[in-house]
Amino acid sequence: MSPAAARAEAKRLLALSLEGGAVSAERVGAVLGALAKSRPAHELRPVLKAYLSAVRREVVRSEVRVEHAGPLAPEALAAIAAALSRAAGRPLRPVARRDDSLLAGLRARVGDDVLDLTALGRLERLERSLAA
Amino acid sequence: MSNVIDQIQQAIAGLDARAGKSNVGTIVSLADGVAAVEGLSGVMMNEMVEFPGGLMGVALNLAEDTVGCVVMGDISSLKEGMQAKTTGRLLSVPVGKGLLGRVVDALGNPVDGKGPVAATERYPVEKIAPGITPRKSVDQPMQTGIMAIDAMIPIGRGQRELIIGDRATGKTTIAVDTIINQANANRVGLASGDPKFRPVYSIYVAVGAKNSSIARTIGTLEKAGAMEFCVIVTAPAADNAANQVFAPFSGTAIGEWFMENGHDALIVYDDLSKHAAAYRQISLILKRPSGREAYPGDVFYLHSRLLERSARLAGKGSLTALPIIETQAGDVSAYVPTNVISITDGQVFLQTDLFNQGIRPAVSVGLSVSRVGSAAQIKAFKQVAGKVKGELAQYRELAAFAQFGSDLDAQTKGILDKGDRFVELFKQPPNAPKSAEIQVALIWAMQNGFFADVPVKSVTAAAAGLQAALEAAKPGVLAKIRGGDKIDDAGAAELKAACEAWKRTFKA
Repeated sequence: MSPAAARAEAKRLLALSLEGGAVSAERVGAVLGALAKSRPAHELRPVLKAYLSAVRREVVRSEVRVEHAGPLAPEALAAIAAALSRAAGRPLRPVARRDDSLLAGLRARVGDDVLDLTALGRLERLERSLAA
Repeated sequence: MSNVIDQIQQAIAGLDARAGKSNVGTIVSLADGVAAVEGLSGVMMNEMVEFPGGLMGVALNLAEDTVGCVVMGDISSLKEGMQAKTTGRLLSVPVGKGLLGRVVDALGNPVDGKGPVAATERYPVEKIAPGITPRKSVDQPMQTGIMAIDAMIPIGRGQRELIIGDRATGKTTIAVDTIINQANANRVGLASGDPKFRPVYSIYVAVGAKNSSIARTIGTLEKAGAMEFCVIVTAPAADNAANQVFAPFSGTAIGEWFMENGHDALIVYDDLSKHAAAYRQISLILKRPSGREAYPGDVFYLHSRLLERSARLAGKGSLTALPIIETQAGDVSAYVPTNVISITDGQVFLQTDLFNQGIRPAVSVGLSVSRVGSAAQIKAFKQVAGKVKGELAQYRELAAFAQFGSDLDAQTKGILDKGDRFVELFKQPPNAPKSAEIQVALIWAMQNGFFADVPVKSVTAAAAGLQAALEAAKPGVLAKIRGGDKIDDAGAAELKAACEAWKRTFKA
């Protein structure tokens, strides 16, 4: 199976795996079960690989990953998620990770978009502007 | 010291303190200078993408899941899984007079060790060519300083004239001579204080050439004092294919600044065959469908969008292009040569046979053409050289027949004798372009029979002697010709007197 055909198949399977606009573990299980019965293993591998990256992308798209230096109150995290959900036009699940190398502030990522409010990011931008 | 502190404080004050917003992706594969990046959902076509370590790339393939980016630099420091991010900027280069005398790479970074480039403006590398309305017809000469070209294949400011020929036939020499001639003319013109004089600035783009060749060209230009009016953009053979693809576009952006700011500029692309090969390499790695000779389908568009940016603009300046194409065994019907021939406004065709016979520059008069023609010649040039191309064509035809027999009538013999002498007169050593007025005077002397009794082998030496005599004795007539005037009766009398005086002292 060509990579393009595998991607097209994975796209179709991803549509079947969504429930209310989000990836449903139950549906993913059902898709995998049906898939295993329908095709031989050598044909399955490229489709599954493409399906995995499509599901991964979709999961990332439905999350707001917040990296922060120092403590972050749960209310603040919820407020960030709510604000970014409004901006994105879809519900986003907050996932927080502490990273003190950011020095101060936080960095939020939704899909491919990154919003950098860290001291480290600002220092890097200052360094670049002075170098230019 | 306080200036430095002020500068830093200004930089800090001007710093954008808002949140940094970017669009990121992850490198999923790396091959031959091309990175496939998953993510980058907000990237624009041709947008610069930043990779770790300050490496820059350009997004060229926007597929459904991945973005194909050509990386401009050493890709060996990149690994799969690393993050790349958009910059929101299209590929651009520094432009302006601060680049004159400098050697820069495809991104406009200096590579001559002379410190940072003093440029305050940047121009996008890719830009839509001027449309129909702002263009003006080409009617001002761009003297190459090469008699065979200026007399028979005149080039105008804003024209695109292809230089085509096999390897080692003198293509680069013609381009370099043209640049040197512009510098010579600029020095004379600026010293004259003529308010109407418009200097021509040159941009030499070296694509896929050996570093030693580029160094030799720079050395030649420096020795001739041409670097002060010249910018060199290099993407040598050792550079990655991306730099080689973008270098001509960067050079054009530098040239466009001159054009749009009321100056005249000349750009040499040396050469577009290697440029097409670099583009083919990138296209194959990006898995774009390949066509004839494995070139991608848009190789014509690659060169047409590049060369269409050369123009003469109403109320502004001009950008003249001299693209170079290398043929294999004189085959002009290959894919890239036919493409570029059809895009340009004429071609100077160089032949290996002529080169080996010692006719240098080895310009094939029959196959070379300038579609702008005599509209781009000064009046005196039109007056003396208007019929030369026809005369030489007639000479070649008769010379071919004359090989079979020795009984020739006087008229045929006269045409052959004159043709032989014209061929000798048009021989020129490299890096010695002649000013327009000297060319006119020499052709006038030939047309008026002053070389008729000079042995063919001595014509070159005789022409050099006449040139020296004219420069010493008749600067007034030469200045009049340079000013664009026709040779009137008084001028002709002066030229005749000078030629007769030279003839009395000349010994073959």
